[in-house]
Amino acid sequence: MKLRIVIGLFLVIMLGGCWDNKDINHRALPIAMGISYQQGNYEVFLDIPKVTEKNEGIQIISAKGNSISAAVNKISMNLEDQVDLLHLKVLIVDKAFATQGLSEITASTIRSRHISPKTMFVICDEPLDRFFKGINNINNGDGKEIYDFFQKNSGWNPEIAHTPVWKVFRSIHSYTNDVVLPIIKSGESTAIQSMGSGILKNGKMVARLNNEQTLLYNVYDGNSLDGKIEVIGKATVQIVSSRIHNESKFVSGKPVLNSELKLKVIILDVIGNPSVEVIKTELQILLRRVMDQIFRKVQLANADIFGIGQHYRDDLPRMELAQWRTKYLPEAKINLEVTTTIRNTGNLKLR
Amino acid sequence: MAAMDEVNSHFSSYPDYVNQKLQIASDTFTFAGLKSLINFPQTIYMVRDPLLTASIGKLELIDVFVSLGHKIPGQPDSIISQIMDGMLVAVHDASGIIVSIYPVPQPNSRPISMPTMENSIGGATSAFNEDLEANIVLLRSHLNCPDLKIQAYNFGGHVKSRVILCYIDNEIDPHLLDNLTQKLEAHQKTEISNLEEFAHILKFSKYSLVNHYMTYELPQNAVRALKNGKAVLFIERVPFSIALPSIFSDFFISEDDMNHPPIYLWLLRSLRFIGALLTLILPGLYVALVSVNPDVLRFELAHSIARSRLDVPYPAIIEALLLLCILELIMEAIIRLPGSIGPTITMVGGIVLGQAVVEAKLVSNLLIIILAATTIANAVVVGFQNTYSLRLFKYLLLFMSAFLGVLGLLSGLLILCAYIAGIRTLGVPYLQLFRARGEKNV
Repeated sequence: MKLRIVIGLFLVIMLGGCWDNKDINHRALPIAMGISYQQGNYEVFLDIPKVTEKNEGIQIISAKGNSISAAVNKISMNLEDQVDLLHLKVLIVDKAFATQGLSEITASTIRSRHISPKTMFVICDEPLDRFFKGINNINNGDGKEIYDFFQKNSGWNPEIAHTPVWKVFRSIHSYTNDVVLPIIKSGESTAIQSMGSGILKNGKMVARLNNEQTLLYNVYDGNSLDGKIEVIGKATVQIVSSRIHNESKFVSGKPVLNSELKLKVIILDVIGNPSVEVIKTELQILLRRVMDQIFRKVQLANADIFGIGQHYRDDLPRMELAQWRTKYLPEAKINLEVTTTIRNTGNLKLR
Repeated sequence: MAAMDEVNSHFSSYPDYVNQKLQIASDTFTFAGLKSLINFPQTIYMVRDPLLTASIGKLELIDVFVSLGHKIPGQPDSIISQIMDGMLVAVHDASGIIVSIYPVPQPNSRPISMPTMENSIGGATSAFNEDLEANIVLLRSHLNCPDLKIQAYNFGGHVKSRVILCYIDNEIDPHLLDNLTQKLEAHQKTEISNLEEFAHILKFSKYSLVNHYMTYELPQNAVRALKNGKAVLFIERVPFSIALPSIFSDFFISEDDMNHPPIYLWLLRSLRFIGALLTLILPGLYVALVSVNPDVLRFELAHSIARSRLDVPYPAIIEALLLLCILELIMEAIIRLPGSIGPTITMVGGIVLGQAVVEAKLVSNLLIIILAATTIANAVVVGFQNTYSLRLFKYLLLFMSAFLGVLGLLSGLLILCAYIAGIRTLGVPYLQLFRARGEKNV
């Protein structure tokens, strides 16, 4: 018994590997990583909040290398701390790289296990060096804006797409599911500015949505936290909750999806004196129009961001499903039915 | 009388030995005893009264004399042992009959008073003390029931001590009772003066890390133990009862709880459970999160912890051990110190030292908070002896966390669970709630 305890202790101590643990204050914890790709060379930017008494801003470090890990290693080598990517919250790629294809870096991100799959994937609308210079402005605040910008409990808005790395990875390997990535750039009066979102098909950016369209996409995706919709010329409503019910069928060989969107809204302001019914119908017309816009883009790009194909997985054999994007999606049709419940009209009465 | 002379010479150097002659009618009696144990004036009065009445009533003096106590043989050894036990030995000089009389004893205990180690909120507050008889009285008054069995055992050859075993006939687990009485009867020659010797008799492992018995100062706790099928033992001059065996729920359940409404009762118990978990986990969790798995923390928290540890020179495990060591020293020192100095040490140790240690950048602010919470949480479990187990177990988790991080913390908890599940006390598994149920043939 005693021998067993001694052997157990010995093994725990010798195999624990506790001597190369680094304490938290000896690790550099980047919150954002920017990756650009030029002529076979990756350039990696790390946004590391400074760990000092006074909490003063961030540190932007960049390095080039044949691969992302080579570049990160170079940074780690030159930095006084060890770079620990586990706290990485945002992964930023520039537009050129996104159009070229992100499948390789997505795969390596998932494979390496150094970066959490929950990290947000973001496209930057300007060169990365300019972007990082822009957000590294001491006037902006404590330097964690890029992190707060995408946090659902702080800066995130339903006009901004919200896509983690694992969803991108899933979309690359799925026949029926594509994603949208938020597009940002450094702002003038704020640190970051949302520029809509980019549709990613098989890891390549193929089209763009503006902020309004992204909101509808988020509502359709069940992601509408307090989204505000302006019913042009009539009113502004705020979505309190939304629920979507889809019914898929084939009509003469073409996929038709009947979607019923149930919205509960609060009226924030009205222009003139519209009745409740008018607001409801206008809202329906508006949403249908935006939906048509998006859907046309989707069909043009052959990228199924709504995951319509998901509803037909049990109708099509796998061989056919492989052609979902090219054969079926361009012929698909969405009938959007919006049922709105106005939950309250503020302190004022509407007719 | 030769035997009496020998006894006198044996006790000649004792300052409290009294040998007194008493003349009643025509007969002379000799009384011997230790006045430190016997209240002599009252005892003599008690003995003389019936003899005088007998002589006036012309009764046979010898018969009355013998009926005062019980006859003992005339060997010096037996007389000495009776005197040492605190009996009054009386000799009828003419016939040489020796009688041992139960005297009016000198008060040798504090009166029944408040408990010193346990606190009672809303329950009875009279506690057991050093006097075995008083303890039985207390127990009986709390549990007035014909099923209460009380057995006395005498332990020790040269130095003697009494042990009293109490149990309720229908409630106690028969295997437990068998095991217990067997062990007690097999070691009657061994001395018992402390709990370690007692544990040795009951063959508890020397390396056991949890308590096999609970000690209760309050009779209501002992009564609950009895009702739950446990055995309660009293050892002479040990001022509390020993409830056997202790089970897992003794950490969290106290008889006092029953004086609260049920919702509060369960809230209190869960609070104790959370406290026990916290005191076990917190220091380990700190080390695991700070040095091995910072990725588990939210970013904001990680960043602020990193800031609080900016100039700390030691790795987290050394830092934690350093402060834990000081805390243990404070806790041990407070027991030794008189009550008037205790608060000073608490203040110096807790406030001054804690503040200075942080200012000197030896440990981080967060660690102070964590260890303070740990120490406070340590005290919520029921029974002072149980806190020792928790105090020790947290080091296991601390080291496992330092080696393997959060994984180590969890495996440490697993080891603890396995260990606790493996403990048996006299054939009763430790990991039980409410009632102590035994097994056959252990």
